[in-house]
Amino acid sequence: MKHFSTTTLSNAAVSDSFFELTFAWNGDDSAANVPRPGQFCTLRVSPFSAPLLRRPFAFSAFDAGRGIASIIYKRRGPATGLLSAKTKGDPLDVIGPLGTGFHQMPRYPFGKVLCIAGGTGFGPMLFCATETIAAGGIAQVVLGCRTKSHVPKIALLDTLRPVITTDDATFGLGGTPLDYLAKLTEDEYTGVTVLACGPTPLCRGCHDWSQARGLACFVSLEQVMACGVGACMGCAIKVAATGGQAYARACTEGPVFESKRILWT
Amino acid sequence: MDLSVAIGSTTLSNPVGVASGTFGYGSEYEDLIDFSAIGALYTKAVTLAPRPGNDMPRIVETPSGILNSIGLANVGVERFLSEKMPYCARLPCAIIVNVAGASIDEYGMVVDRLEGSDAISGYEINISCPNVKHGGMAFGTDPATVTDLTANLRKRTKRPLIVKLTPNVTDIALIARAAQDGGADAVSCINTLVGMVIDVSAKRPVLPLRTGGLSGPAIRPIGVAATFAVSRAVAIPVIGVGGIASGNDALEYLLAGASAIQIGTANFVDPSTAAQVLAGIRAFAEREKMTCIKDFHQFIPR
Repeated sequence: MKHFSTTTLSNAAVSDSFFELTFAWNGDDSAANVPRPGQFCTLRVSPFSAPLLRRPFAFSAFDAGRGIASIIYKRRGPATGLLSAKTKGDPLDVIGPLGTGFHQMPRYPFGKVLCIAGGTGFGPMLFCATETIAAGGIAQVVLGCRTKSHVPKIALLDTLRPVITTDDATFGLGGTPLDYLAKLTEDEYTGVTVLACGPTPLCRGCHDWSQARGLACFVSLEQVMACGVGACMGCAIKVAATGGQAYARACTEGPVFESKRILWT
Repeated sequence: MDLSVAIGSTTLSNPVGVASGTFGYGSEYEDLIDFSAIGALYTKAVTLAPRPGNDMPRIVETPSGILNSIGLANVGVERFLSEKMPYCARLPCAIIVNVAGASIDEYGMVVDRLEGSDAISGYEINISCPNVKHGGMAFGTDPATVTDLTANLRKRTKRPLIVKLTPNVTDIALIARAAQDGGADAVSCINTLVGMVIDVSAKRPVLPLRTGGLSGPAIRPIGVAATFAVSRAVAIPVIGVGGIASGNDALEYLLAGASAIQIGTANFVDPSTAAQVLAGIRAFAEREKMTCIKDFHQFIPR
């Protein structure tokens, strides 16, 4: 991880709910330390004391050749509101890459993956699918959105051709990605590793579905963070431990966990 | 300009510390900061047994501040010594271990165990955590208990004992005097203030224990006023803490009577805050032709 200043290269709405921001990677560019799927950065969105804390954002892409990192985020409050107002050339204060990514999970590279995304979870899932395909694997992305106007319009979707679900059946399949999973036949899911990022009920649903079929499942979980580097113990996730339970830090041991480690509540 | 600060038998190379609970055990910030710019690292609180900490959520942002309810999550004194202290021992800054407990005996046993480690510069006695059911703030609000606890620990160590005060009292100067009476070498002033945020749509407090500890720029004027009052009530050094994010903020505390300061919540916002604060203090002191930290204390009358 490194703390660095850089400039915004682009920041545009990709649907009426999501934005994609790209910035020049001025961090460590050695191959072992560039952003990987599941990892995140924290951005300081204001030089003033409100909003105060840095905000965590998962990487949605990293172009090693051009040194460009991308994030996809939802405008939901004052901090992401300020972020959405940034334009090309605006300075950015970045710490990253942070956290444990999918590449640090057992049995990586996974070969054949189902990337299940809900909401802004589609950023890291697209990144994961891209990396899997680049490594010679097979990736099917399933992207759950609330409604048609939330469905992102980005070039990557033309190549990855995800299955899209909408809660209100205004686009693609009606329902959630879990409804899509429920209809898969054994032939379709044999040998697949399930990766998920999105709201906790979606991640839990992917875990349950995978467990019932004996498939490995890795989830990227969200938690409110203060420091983002493992110091404050603010972003705890309840996990199984010898003799009971323990807390793991979403920012350090996570955000990506093997789903069977999580004590789902 | 001599920026060093004497606390009991220890001398800190400069007055800027990083506050307990905001800097882990140091290693978390290894890639991000230069530890030689820090006078002292105050570790995450250490208790006798490991503590898992409180349920989630533990953090909620408030206007220019945060409300936390971590619950002294820590690895316990044995794992602190075997897993965390070897790293701390290599750092160029002073290591002050923050000690917490649910009883006077527990504080004593933790200090006894830590006495075996040569690399520890002193202890900050946490009698002000608002987020645990037993101990913590309950100790820090009663003057007689503060004197007893401090005197008990005084018998166990010659190292500096810094008592961390809670602002959740009517008269913080009274508690500071009680710590001094028990043999404290310094006081840290202040820990977080009790606060509550309510989720209106759910009609219940956001934090599982309902209240948490408020920190950040929002509490700075409270910390400065407390430092002013305490520094006039005791003869031992006062370490100012609360909402410091810039050199100017730290200068407020030093002018109010602090001999050193700690950066807390601002570490989360910008890990290089301590280095910037030290540069700000140094530039001001040189401009004002000061020769030592005590020179800051001459301007505001008692």
